[in-house]
Amino acid sequence: MTSTASNAGTTELPATDPDALARLERFGGRKLLHEMIALYLENAPGRLAAAAAGVAAGDPSATENALHSLKSSSAQLGALKLSRLCEAGEAIARGGSLTGIAELLDDGRHELRVVEAWLAGVRAERAT
Amino acid sequence: MTTIAVVEDNADNRLLLQALLADRYDLVEFDNGVDALMGLSTSLPDLVLLDISLPGMDGNEILSRIRADDRLRPLPVIALTAHAMSGDREKYLSAGFNDYITKPIVDETILIDAIERWLAKR
Repeated sequence: MTSTASNAGTTELPATDPDALARLERFGGRKLLHEMIALYLENAPGRLAAAAAGVAAGDPSATENALHSLKSSSAQLGALKLSRLCEAGEAIARGGSLTGIAELLDDGRHELRVVEAWLAGVRAERAT
Repeated sequence: MTTIAVVEDNADNRLLLQALLADRYDLVEFDNGVDALMGLSTSLPDLVLLDISLPGMDGNEILSRIRADDRLRPLPVIALTAHAMSGDREKYLSAGFNDYITKPIVDETILIDAIERWLAKR
């Protein structure tokens, strides 16, 4: 179960999507891009922590809500692998279970560090 | 100017909707259902963009309360959701939403076309 859930979020699809960032820039210029990145970096660790707290409390609903938020924000910003990990955990929690979500969150924390480095590079590259 | 209410708990999604819509419409924003229902009654917008997954009162419950309120009942309400599972569109339309937009927003014209379509029907 754990292995299946984890694999569901880590298939060989791209981990990040630069087109998503280009799209945000098209929607609202570089200002929007930087603001979206800043909000994401500010909120993503807290959402992972909220999901972990939900698991620790045995609360599938709280876990689902936190993972849903992070899934959505990650997808909009092009953090595709992290979004898929969240989606896998969200699906488990929606079914009333928490089995395997702690492992998905471990993968998610690792992936968030990858995304943070990616976005830091984008910020530096498009600073002006 | 036409007023659109945005009910969305994620600040990043609200920011994105501002970038896409603020040039065209007046926006009023709410990050939870209780504030939204109180605010809708006072602001009486022309249309509502309603996130489904909200903490506490979710989008389905907010919609039920809108449809149960004589003044709010006629409002066009477009569901905004990142659930995007097979059959969702039919589920939300049959629940009483006027339209259904999935997140992430990839093509802004789908959102704007849906808004304009429902505003034109008012």
